Amino acid sequence: MPVILGIIFAVTFTLAWLVPGNPLESEDRNVPPEIQEAMLRQYSLHDPWVFMQEYLVGVFTRADFGPSLYYRDQTVSSILAAGLPISVVLGVAAMIVACMVGVVAGIVGALRPRSWLDHSSMLLALVGVSLPSFVTAAALLILFAGILNWVPAAGWGHPRQMILPAIALGLMPAAYIARLVRIGLIDAMGSDHVRTARAKGLSRHQALLRHALKLALLPVLSFLGPAAAATLTGSFVVEKVFEIPGIGRDFVNAVLNKDQFLILGLVLVYSSMLIVFNLIVDVAYAWFDPRIELD
Amino acid sequence: MRKNIVLLVVVLIALAIAGWWSMAGRKLPDAEFVFVSAAPHKTLDPQQMSWLDEIRIAECLYEPLVKFEVPQLDIVGGVADRWEVDATDHGERYTFHLRSDARWSNGDTVTSHDFVYAWRRAMMPDFAAQYFNLMWVIEGAREFYDWRNEQLLTYEKQDHKSADAAEQLWKSALTHFDNTVGLIAPDAETLVVRLKRPTPFFLELCAFATFMPVHRDTVDRFVEGPDPTTGRMKQMPWVIPGQVVCNGPYVLSERKIKEYLLMRANPNHWNRAAMGNGSILERIIENTQTALLAYDQGEIHWLPDIPTAKSLAADLIAADRSDVHVFPGAGTYYYLFNCESTLPDGSQNPLADRRVRRALAMTIDGKRIVESVTRMKQPVARTFTPVGEVPGYDPPVEAGAGFDPQGARKLLSEAGYANGSLMKGLSILYNTNQGHEKIAQFVQQSWRTHLDVHVELEGIEKKVFSDRRRKHRFTISRGGWFGDYRDPTTFLDLFRTGGGQNDGRYSNPQYDGLLDLAVFERDPKQRMAILREAEALMLNDQAVAPIFQYVQLEMFDTQRVEGISRNAWHRRRLELVRVR
Repeated sequence: MPVILGIIFAVTFTLAWLVPGNPLESEDRNVPPEIQEAMLRQYSLHDPWVFMQEYLVGVFTRADFGPSLYYRDQTVSSILAAGLPISVVLGVAAMIVACMVGVVAGIVGALRPRSWLDHSSMLLALVGVSLPSFVTAAALLILFAGILNWVPAAGWGHPRQMILPAIALGLMPAAYIARLVRIGLIDAMGSDHVRTARAKGLSRHQALLRHALKLALLPVLSFLGPAAAATLTGSFVVEKVFEIPGIGRDFVNAVLNKDQFLILGLVLVYSSMLIVFNLIVDVAYAWFDPRIELD
Repeated sequence: MRKNIVLLVVVLIALAIAGWWSMAGRKLPDAEFVFVSAAPHKTLDPQQMSWLDEIRIAECLYEPLVKFEVPQLDIVGGVADRWEVDATDHGERYTFHLRSDARWSNGDTVTSHDFVYAWRRAMMPDFAAQYFNLMWVIEGAREFYDWRNEQLLTYEKQDHKSADAAEQLWKSALTHFDNTVGLIAPDAETLVVRLKRPTPFFLELCAFATFMPVHRDTVDRFVEGPDPTTGRMKQMPWVIPGQVVCNGPYVLSERKIKEYLLMRANPNHWNRAAMGNGSILERIIENTQTALLAYDQGEIHWLPDIPTAKSLAADLIAADRSDVHVFPGAGTYYYLFNCESTLPDGSQNPLADRRVRRALAMTIDGKRIVESVTRMKQPVARTFTPVGEVPGYDPPVEAGAGFDPQGARKLLSEAGYANGSLMKGLSILYNTNQGHEKIAQFVQQSWRTHLDVHVELEGIEKKVFSDRRRKHRFTISRGGWFGDYRDPTTFLDLFRTGGGQNDGRYSNPQYDGLLDLAVFERDPKQRMAILREAEALMLNDQAVAPIFQYVQLEMFDTQRVEGISRNAWHRRRLELVRVR
């Protein structure tokens, strides 16, 4: 993991440095060169080696990820500390929605294959996969906040405000999960040990739920890794539409603003999270299926 | 099986706790006046700020020497209740007398030393920020800035560096400041400022954020250094809600970055009695549609930041709502011409000939643009300084290019381009996503139709756009300029030869001469006449093609909210707003 992070850091650092633009400049004004120069020196931005050196020293001795060049009153650590829990909670809520909706839809489809229930849940899955999240987010917002007025339009402070964003973000993984579960179940129903269970007298439903489901959930588990990745990165759009103060928004804004400290901090945090999460998925995989061994 | 369930329950509980924790204390606080800002502020340090949304807050938290009466925009006393202006050899001397009842929120008296400390911060390269050059009207300020820069660069190069050496460096800088800069506090209630040359708009500058005072002890606690390696001082973030000490009508009570900012009335403010509300909540909502939804749900009293470049603004106007307010801003939207003799690639620049520039300007139909393209019905601009916004100045509209395709064709053929398509290599540069495409397309088509001149369109990302503008790698570019203070020079200084904002590299020594003449002219009427002549010259040379004057769009219900001033210069006195 340190090696991967090191490589990611080096690549990000170079890219962030090379991106054209000046994080300290303003919109339509040119700052006088002597002021510009002094501003760059404040943050050691006049020389990439000095900057990298000071940055690494700061990170490893003081856990100081530097100030944000755009939000000058804030440090990167405080921005991350404020936004990260929110994004994580949103992501997890979305994954819970995705799992619940996806698994239920998949089970329903597998229990009654080719019925209208099956077709409609698969159609929903198709729609969920095809529609981009900002379309679903905007539609949900207009319907439930604008027309029905059931939830407030923006912000993050009440559990009610979590529902719409979680649904908007979770629909796409839900669709994938539904399809995976359905196919996995239908396959598993035909496998040897399920047929043995049926022969021993279990009803179709009981066999499905007690034996087949566990098998069918394995591909879902391995999908959770990339799904988490997609949720984390896709959260930017949903956060923007629902005005949620998470770090998804910060990520894109940091790049657009060429806020080098924030870019580096965010990339390190995101990469670490993704690596750790994939590790957890690997462990869970082995724990779920006794046939697999962990190295 | 049981193991699985236990684990699942543990995980769910952990999630619930995390969820609750992320939400805890997140309910929006109550306040009498609620408004929405589209931008999470970059900084709340008055000497560092440059954006309107930040200045809006600074005007609530800090009180400068003088401030604006709204909406007439007369200058009235703030911390200073009277002042005198005397002429000196080359410039002026302002003597401000501070009121005896001006207090910080912690009870300390506001003294002239607070102003000296604050203004000194804005002259130190260590804390450099965009509007520092506003300080350079003060005698010795620019020289001190350069001196300190030299001092720091020399120190970095030298071998003998130590904490002591850095301390000595800093001390000598402070002494040098006291000796050379025309900013003196003879006593706690008097501030004397010596200006390099006559500056009629100096009081306007004094009302600006960069000139606001800060509580010296509080801010100084957050200054680190001097750094032994570089010799520089470093300002750590000091605007901490609950701790920051303010002298304005409000104190900063709470702040959640990117979410909201809560200000409560400052109990120690001398003008507490005149305030119309006791608390202001500023909610940060970046997406205009979402802000509009929240406004329609009744949670918001005022929406000041509706972007006029997007079609939403035009739709709101067309919807004929009584709570939509449109009024002109002190800025101009224009097209900038590359005025140099050769283009970046070395070929001859057709725009170097003023007749070509003039012909192009004469075929931009401003009226059609504001009616059909932007649909905002902005005032059409023929001059660079917006008409009616600078008191005492009457821009030379007659010198500007009106829409006259026939005259343009004549002019173009005089310049040697009887066939417009002979002109090559021109393109309109603009940044994407801000509504500039439509205008550029319209202008491109106009030039093709009326003059047979073909131009390319180059829409690029914002930072790259700024980069190319500054590096002068364009032929025609879109531009927008807002004035900083109510004097024509905030518009006309752009076109000085070699000026930092002069991206088109327009150069006319006669123009520079007129501006220099105006600098030392002490008679106000005569000075305005000279500036008018200068602008007429620049417009005749067609350095730019002004298109329209910016307008601002805000939403508020006049039945419910009173005291929101509508003026072109965004001067607000939010403490006077009353919500029923």
